[in-house]
Amino acid sequence: MGLVEDLAADLGPARVRPGGPDDAIGGRVPAAVAEPLSPEAVAAVLARAGRDGLAVRVRGGGTKQSWSAPPERLDVVLSTRALHRLIDHAPGDMTCVAEAGMPLAALQAAIADVTTHRQRLMLDPPGGAEATLGGVLATAAAGPRRVRYGTPRDLVIGARYVTGDGLAAKTGGRVVKNVAGYDVAKLLIGSHGSLAVITEVALKLHPLPDAARTVVLRDPDPDRAAAFCDAVRGAPITPALVEAAWPEGLVLVRVESTEEGAAAQVERLRGLGPVEELDEVAADALTADLAARAWAGTGPVLAVGVVPDRLADLLRAARDAGATLVARAPVCAGELALPDDDPDRAARLIDAVRALGGSVQLRRGGEDLRALVRTAPEPAVLRLEAALKDRLDPHGVLAGAAR
Amino acid sequence: MAATQTTDRLGTLAERARAIVGPVWVLSDPAQLSTYECDGLTNQRERPGLVVLPASTDEVAAVVRACHELGIPFVARGAGSGLSGGAMPRAEGVVIGLARMREILAVDLPNRRVTVQPGVTNLAITEAVAPHGFYYAPDPSSQQVCTIGGNLAENAGGAHCLKYGFTVNHALSAVVVLADGAVVRLGADAPDAPGLDLLGVLIGSEGTCGIVTEAVVGILPKPQHVETLVAFFDTVEEGGETVSAIISAGIVPAAVEMMDRLAIEAARAVTKMDWDAESALIVELDGPESEVRSQFEAVTRICAAHHAREVRVAASPAERAAIWTARKSAFAAAGRLAPAYRVQDGVIPRTRLPEVLRGIAALSERYGLRVANVFHAGDGNLHPLVLYDSAVPEQVEQSEELAMAIVALCVEFGGSITGEHGVGTEKACSMPKMFDGDDLTAFDRVRGAFDPDGLCNPDKLLPTPRLCGEVPGFHRVHPVERAGLGDRL
Repeated sequence: MGLVEDLAADLGPARVRPGGPDDAIGGRVPAAVAEPLSPEAVAAVLARAGRDGLAVRVRGGGTKQSWSAPPERLDVVLSTRALHRLIDHAPGDMTCVAEAGMPLAALQAAIADVTTHRQRLMLDPPGGAEATLGGVLATAAAGPRRVRYGTPRDLVIGARYVTGDGLAAKTGGRVVKNVAGYDVAKLLIGSHGSLAVITEVALKLHPLPDAARTVVLRDPDPDRAAAFCDAVRGAPITPALVEAAWPEGLVLVRVESTEEGAAAQVERLRGLGPVEELDEVAADALTADLAARAWAGTGPVLAVGVVPDRLADLLRAARDAGATLVARAPVCAGELALPDDDPDRAARLIDAVRALGGSVQLRRGGEDLRALVRTAPEPAVLRLEAALKDRLDPHGVLAGAAR
Repeated sequence: MAATQTTDRLGTLAERARAIVGPVWVLSDPAQLSTYECDGLTNQRERPGLVVLPASTDEVAAVVRACHELGIPFVARGAGSGLSGGAMPRAEGVVIGLARMREILAVDLPNRRVTVQPGVTNLAITEAVAPHGFYYAPDPSSQQVCTIGGNLAENAGGAHCLKYGFTVNHALSAVVVLADGAVVRLGADAPDAPGLDLLGVLIGSEGTCGIVTEAVVGILPKPQHVETLVAFFDTVEEGGETVSAIISAGIVPAAVEMMDRLAIEAARAVTKMDWDAESALIVELDGPESEVRSQFEAVTRICAAHHAREVRVAASPAERAAIWTARKSAFAAAGRLAPAYRVQDGVIPRTRLPEVLRGIAALSERYGLRVANVFHAGDGNLHPLVLYDSAVPEQVEQSEELAMAIVALCVEFGGSITGEHGVGTEKACSMPKMFDGDDLTAFDRVRGAFDPDGLCNPDKLLPTPRLCGEVPGFHRVHPVERAGLGDRL
């Protein structure tokens, strides 16, 4: 029997199909695409993979496969899209539990009933409506709101997962405070599907604010733009987002609070620089434009991070390389889009960020660029990562890579 | 035979340790060793074989390497203020005390971070940056004495973690001595470093993944404005419902704390306050002034709508401090109500507060022992104080049973066996209440990746036959348990 038939015997024929060109990851077309309906079925796929020596790559919405190194071999794409149920929403506890294949947008729609709950999962990663919870976790993807609410590691309170050898386990729980057991979710977040398949996630929610106001500063001088961001950070303001964008030297600040609180914070912002307030429509449009900007072309995209007091240097590095930068200013993390595939330009930019003590990851681009971005961790770190991989995926079936 | 071998190996280690840290920093006199036989969980004790007090990362690494070579288990110890036995040693093992490593190495205000040695106290970090308008957010009740190394090991929380999160949300990087003595830096200066979040899993691993010898933690600017109130209710239910109503109104307070009548009586016995109610609810808001003022008005209205008999607003920092003194004195004051007490630590979904409190009252009646309730109501973290008389042997046992029954109740309501004290030795045998065999197996694999030889704080966090008697490894679930006819504690 062929692989599709084998998996169909495990999962039922409707849950398996042959892979096609659209399923290719890093140029490799999988022999089969499996869409299990339950954690047990996920375990069955992995068990078969272990027995038959297959390489399995996990896929949610498929929006961030380019964030991970391409697989060296690929037999099965394990799609989580059939695991898409909202399992529990406890509005009074500000928590929810959902299966990993649930699109983030679907979750937001399900929990944000305007008349009753008014709450939201404060994650706004790139990837649009297709990104799934599991994929967002696996890639540790975060967006502008991390400035106030943090990244997936700050919002996940529990998870269920299936290890590479088919052990279905849970970590954490459904309560917002809990220190029982190892926080395995921390390991899975950012693991790029290399240790286990995330099947269910418990999340902490936040209330939607009463009022939101947005101001913009436009200043093409990196030092002045960075000084404004620094002043915002030092002022009694708790912004939901502070996005700094290059080349135009634009800083967008959105405050979310009570009506009185938002008004007072806008007044503060006016005192910090020549800002212009945007109405709601213009603010939403610019926010959406900024979120899409780094991904707009087809050229390489890097994720970069530096310590907060190097923001001006990061802006200058973007300017000097002719790159587009959109960064969360207070945490100094963002995306750098290169105008073309010129390897020298990319190398100069990577060197410049590294010279600032910064981190660089590839979000989109060719394998030459990935090689430039890749760094060798300390040997003891490498040993620990390898030991975790060995113990959680002993047969090496999961074809994801955390680096 | 085995005992002799152990003694020989400890002797060898003592010799090597003296060469590493200097003879005065190696303790082997039984009287001195006794100081290290327990942490804040005082009913479990074991005198260690040796205590070593290193002064640097290199010294810690050399001592751990020696332990690794000789196959001797070791446990790190900060202030010893933990409440779950996390720092309890083994008789044939070594305590690596970090009390000499208490320097603040760097304060980086532009980047809002502080680099400290593990023996620095939690409060010392805030004290070091307070003159510049900053503070370190996690604030466990023991913050005057507990150390940052212990905070990382236990993922310490505190009253204000409802809004600000736990230690893991504030730690940026750490230098760690691994179980074989290798030294690594986990985490990074800049955000979004590639690779696994090893620091994230190390924090809260209760000293089983390595020893932190240096940590970089983030600091926050002091909030512009703070408002605090205490509201009194005629029933515990009304207090609990008020908590839910505040959260449902879209307000995230800095802290929401609750005390029941017995806890209030205890606090009254040791402070000058005049509180008198079935429940007292403390609500604190912080942030930009205009936001805090408008939300504080809303909180006051919500308290009134839930029949608060009285709402007192702190009109000055002194009055705020008095409210917190009353709250924080409840633990120690429990000693005035009974000869002895046990502090329990469990978590429930915060909306289930009224039901769980009724359940605790019923258990209290069944066991004939009083329970005072003090808790971080905002995040559903209960700290029931089980009062008993240590001179009455059956009460010692019953109080333990009652405490564990309360934990079981928390799990029944979808909660956790521990919100901030940790599992340690105290609750290792309770882990199967919350996690099944496969969950525990996966935990054990994570532990094994960090400590394949089982020397780094063994017998903590996970159930072992040594600790839990007949608990038979991880994979087997007894048919009686599976049928829901009984379980193990």
